[in-house]
Amino acid sequence: MVDYLWNTQSPLQKALVPGCHGATGAHPGVTLREVRDIVLVQVMARRGKAAETAKAAKKLFGVEAPATPKAVIGKTATLVWSGPDQFTVIAPRTDEASQLAAMAQAFTGSASLSDQSDGRCLIRVSGARARDAIAKFSSLDLHDSVFPVGTAANTSVDHTAVNFWREANGTDGHPVYNMLVFTSFSDSLWHTIVDSSLEYGVEASSAKAA
Amino acid sequence: MRIACPFCGERENGEFTYLGDASPKRPNFAADSGESPERVEDAFYDYVYLRDNVAGFMREYWYHGGGCRSWLIAERNTVTHEFRSVIAAPGVGAANPVQAGE
Repeated sequence: MVDYLWNTQSPLQKALVPGCHGATGAHPGVTLREVRDIVLVQVMARRGKAAETAKAAKKLFGVEAPATPKAVIGKTATLVWSGPDQFTVIAPRTDEASQLAAMAQAFTGSASLSDQSDGRCLIRVSGARARDAIAKFSSLDLHDSVFPVGTAANTSVDHTAVNFWREANGTDGHPVYNMLVFTSFSDSLWHTIVDSSLEYGVEASSAKAA
Repeated sequence: MRIACPFCGERENGEFTYLGDASPKRPNFAADSGESPERVEDAFYDYVYLRDNVAGFMREYWYHGGGCRSWLIAERNTVTHEFRSVIAAPGVGAANPVQAGE
């Protein structure tokens, strides 16, 4: 009898080589991090139930769910706009089953939920030259006046759908961008980001979501 | 060419897919209404195949597949590619009580 052993592994198992790559200097221009152990749920309001969904989100997360392309930080999760009357909930994984159960209960009758925790890969790009690196493969205007902290966008990068949002600046004062991509495309996107960042120096790593 | 999605803002046209004229309405015949088969057939032939070749502004369906995945209706000048307006198609978003196609 054959025993099958299923081990969860990162979709970037091969692509992610921790450490510094490309140009060497005092500080790498780009910091690239895979954020692991996330719980990710797509929330889609049912027809005519947008108001109820917003109310349920407010009750569960303590913040208004984004009605425009924004990312808002709630009590236990970040809510990122992902289309008209729909948003994505992203939280560090603690107890996945109870996290999902709490959401299923909160949105009963108002919204449809889809667990995407293992379907997407979260990549965080930050640093002094992050914007320059991203400009090479994205057509979004990331200027501070257009894309301030808290802005989100659904966009297409390298023909791949990406949920993109900007969170609070890092401790170094430089912008921090998040990219959520289908796991099967994350390898390709990772290489694209690394290649675009090499001339600025890039430090790659992975970390648990916090 | 850049298209101003009513949800996402201005984006490059590569994120969008073009469907075509937004004006044809699907013929709606009640079953057993006594309508002659020829008339029904003609109406569907018009709906499926016949299109005006407009030089100037026309209403068109565009799909923002590389963004918010919403169907949109744009008024575009087919001569100059100027967009006059871009709005959500009926049925887009749960707040909208109208089903798509109605």
